[in-house]
Amino acid sequence: MNDRIILEDVSKFYGDILGVNRVNLSIPPGITSLVGPNGSGKTTLMNVITGLIRPTRGRVEVLGYKTNDPENLFKIVGYSTQFDAFPKGLTGLQFIYSYLRLTGMDANQAQQLAARAIERVNLAEAAHRVIAGYSKGMRQRIRLAQALAHNPKVLILDEPLNGLDPLARAEMIALFRSAAADGCYVIISSHILHEVDVISDQVILMSNGYVVAEGAIQSVRNEISEHPTQILIRCNRPRELAAKVLASDHASEISIHKDERGLLLKTRSADDFYLALNKIALDGIEIESVAPADDDVLSVYEYLIGSEEVVR
Amino acid sequence: MKRIWWEQIKGVIRLELKKTFFAKRGLWIYAVALMPVMIFIAYSIVNSTQIHRSASIARRGEKALTYQDLQAVKNGMVKEEVISRLGKAPVVFHWNEHVGSGSDRHVVTHDEYHYSDGANDLYVSLVDGRVANVRLDDGYNMGRDSIMFAGVFQFFFLRLAVFFGCLGIFMNLFRGEVLDRSLHFYFLAPVRREVLVAGKFIAGLLATSVIFVSSELLQHVAFLWHLSPAVRDLYLYHNHGLENALAYLGVTVLACVGYGAFFLVAGMLFKNPIIPTAVILVWEWIDPFLPALLKQFSVIYYLKALCPVNIPVPPGMPPLLAMLISNSDPVSAPLAITGLLVVAAIALYASSLQVRRMEINYTTE
Repeated sequence: MNDRIILEDVSKFYGDILGVNRVNLSIPPGITSLVGPNGSGKTTLMNVITGLIRPTRGRVEVLGYKTNDPENLFKIVGYSTQFDAFPKGLTGLQFIYSYLRLTGMDANQAQQLAARAIERVNLAEAAHRVIAGYSKGMRQRIRLAQALAHNPKVLILDEPLNGLDPLARAEMIALFRSAAADGCYVIISSHILHEVDVISDQVILMSNGYVVAEGAIQSVRNEISEHPTQILIRCNRPRELAAKVLASDHASEISIHKDERGLLLKTRSADDFYLALNKIALDGIEIESVAPADDDVLSVYEYLIGSEEVVR
Repeated sequence: MKRIWWEQIKGVIRLELKKTFFAKRGLWIYAVALMPVMIFIAYSIVNSTQIHRSASIARRGEKALTYQDLQAVKNGMVKEEVISRLGKAPVVFHWNEHVGSGSDRHVVTHDEYHYSDGANDLYVSLVDGRVANVRLDDGYNMGRDSIMFAGVFQFFFLRLAVFFGCLGIFMNLFRGEVLDRSLHFYFLAPVRREVLVAGKFIAGLLATSVIFVSSELLQHVAFLWHLSPAVRDLYLYHNHGLENALAYLGVTVLACVGYGAFFLVAGMLFKNPIIPTAVILVWEWIDPFLPALLKQFSVIYYLKALCPVNIPVPPGMPPLLAMLISNSDPVSAPLAITGLLVVAAIALYASSLQVRRMEINYTTE
């Protein structure tokens, strides 16, 4: 398939140390988050996808391109690594410009695209300063600019929000969303779950070198049958609603909020419960809101891996 | 070659040249390249002083002397004979020596005469008015100095300065980037790894060529600086001086090609540069003792054949040292150039295979 990033039975060992093992993935367009604690294999997986390291076993293809073909691969891939080293003595603009010249672009085009990339990450004011004098956040942004500069179809970003202040984070998240909306494949790694929860179209949960779950967050959640789905309902008569829900046999556990304005229930069949709730609501109970309480990445990760590994 | 490859090579060269020429850790290479220049500057100063001194002594002499006049003085001649032939000595040292004791005690007179024909100096020692010792120092000798220049070029400049300069520059093209953790910058660009090797090699070659060809030019300037314009013209245009100088420049560039290719591949294959450096250094020095087939895999074998001035083996030199100096198995210049380029091409091919296998292992996880 030429419209996916494919990993087939990919393993990477550093001697006896496991990097990633038996990874099978088919990554579609949109924002895909690689989530896992430090050492779970996220960066290894990204390096394998970009050909910076070769898998010990397995096959990787990025939109039909082999990873041992950097000449073609990096025409469509931009990779912002976590690595904090730059060619010495270059300003931010020179760094991006030099990178673009390496792609074979002429000077004018490289100059224009470099300036645009720097504007996109809001570094225009520091463009002519030497990178060695940049703050951590600025270096993070210049790496993002390098990844974005040649308008790649695939953006691979290793912990891209590290070191950014809240405003810059919001700007970068908007940038990722915009790229995804344009049909790009945006792969973001993070060990901070709530950071990627709100922006991801799909997640890949990793632990100790293994992919433990992948897909849209809700569908991943639904596959975890041993943990009932939790649903939070805000309404005017929670006790009455709780009695009716229990009578309908769709909930295994219900607790009433202290403020008497809502309840939290657990159900093994969320879809059936939502149908039943529609009928119950017809009996005059005013329901303000209904929201799943544990289909975020954090909850899913806790269920799959265990709470001790989760980094909040 | 695809046009885009050439553009990418130029991109790599631009980055690498800036890094190579202005790297603080590469300053020692300039120092090494300047050392032979300093040697020849010092030599020129000494020679120039000597020439002026000889000319001054010749001017102060009673007669205008020729080399034959100086050669005419022999041991056993009496003082008057010397003075009648050469005139009164312009520089004289005289002292008396008291020898014996008691009634046997007497005085021995010593005289040291210094004559010059303006270029060559004659030192005559007289004891009790008779010549006891004669020393004739030849002045400036272009043939002798050419051999000295060839010796410095072969045994210091090529085997040490260019060798270690290429080590410092080419070994760092990849190894230095790995140590600085900046190689990923190139590996993330849409550039064939082989193109990257070509770009880095050309950049290294340009840098070493500029540094060492400049050094070689300055050595020639320093070497010839003290000579009079007439002698300089005679050397350059009538005694193959210019041809030799151009040949030395060519050999310098070829040395950069050969050693550069070796050190480029060594920098990729070995984490510790000391081992390959020691191996290549020893290999180059034992070249005269290697079998004919193995000689062809050393750079100095071809470079020696291309050097324009052969260094004669001084009589009485131990055979092992004599083998180091002599070029016992010379190849023709075209064959030497082709051979060296083939050896460099083999090393570059090995580099291109190795670069495709190179990985970047981030350890941030």
